[in-house]
Amino acid sequence: MNDCDEQDLIEAAQAGSADAFADLVRNYRVRLLRFLMTRCASHADAEDALQDTLVASYRYLNSYDPRWRFSTWLYRIAIRNAHKLRQDNVVEFGDLQDEESDPMLQCIASSETENLWVCARRVLNDEVFAATWLRYAEDMSINDISQALDRSTSWTKVNLLRARKALESELNGQRQGAEAYG
Amino acid sequence: MASVRELKPMDKLSKQLKQDAGMIEVEISDELDRRINASLRSVNPVRETPRRRPAVFWWASSLTGVAAALVLIAVLNARSERDLPEAMPETSPVAMASSPVTPIIEWNAESAMLTSPLRKELDDLQSDIDKARKKVRDDIGL
Repeated sequence: MNDCDEQDLIEAAQAGSADAFADLVRNYRVRLLRFLMTRCASHADAEDALQDTLVASYRYLNSYDPRWRFSTWLYRIAIRNAHKLRQDNVVEFGDLQDEESDPMLQCIASSETENLWVCARRVLNDEVFAATWLRYAEDMSINDISQALDRSTSWTKVNLLRARKALESELNGQRQGAEAYG
Repeated sequence: MASVRELKPMDKLSKQLKQDAGMIEVEISDELDRRINASLRSVNPVRETPRRRPAVFWWASSLTGVAAALVLIAVLNARSERDLPEAMPETSPVAMASSPVTPIIEWNAESAMLTSPLRKELDDLQSDIDKARKKVRDDIGL
């Protein structure tokens, strides 16, 4: 969908067309759900968070500022919803390590090597993980990430750099460990 | 010569992160799709309509603002007057003579011997005083 189409759909949805809004967010739903899977305690929570995000974004679409990218606005709402859901369920980020309940681990296709996002979630804090996801999985710009997370651009740059270093260090450690035992 | 800016190639870590994100397989189930569509249809978007205020509102708010400014100025003036010192604090003079720590100065003075011109001048002055005293007595009839 190009920007013109998206803008037309936004205007139609702002005029009250639920169908236009459904078309508008159709491409974002899977991406949002994938992101929410990394942040919620269960599959059901991630689906609820997605539904809440879409409903809230439709309800308050008239407050959407067109200076932002629509995806940035959606992710900002999604991050808030996931955070709120986690607070309601009193689940800490570190508690999402159990494979039986962790929706992200359930959705990862089997592979010989550990998925980097599992590693990222282990070594990064909640917010830095989100910034890293938006940067590398969603190809968002630094400005968009800053807006989605309500942080300064310098915070985003610094923490993305730190995240990279932490991940590289973790991967090097794993590699050395494998060589030592291999 | 125009320089051609090469795009920075995606490094290995970025590629791996992108690829691994794609490995997280999710799909929107039919049931979730129905739920989302149903909830979207039941939502009424919030309309942002600017509220029109009556003209009297602007007059009232302007007058309130002016009145508040006047009160503030009055309060600040009253406060600044109150904060001024009424009079300089009185300081009691320190009696140096009665001070127990007054140092005792020892004068080593010697009487000066008057030389002749000074003696003469003193005699002249004494003579003038005597003449003036006599004249006053004569004038008042003593």
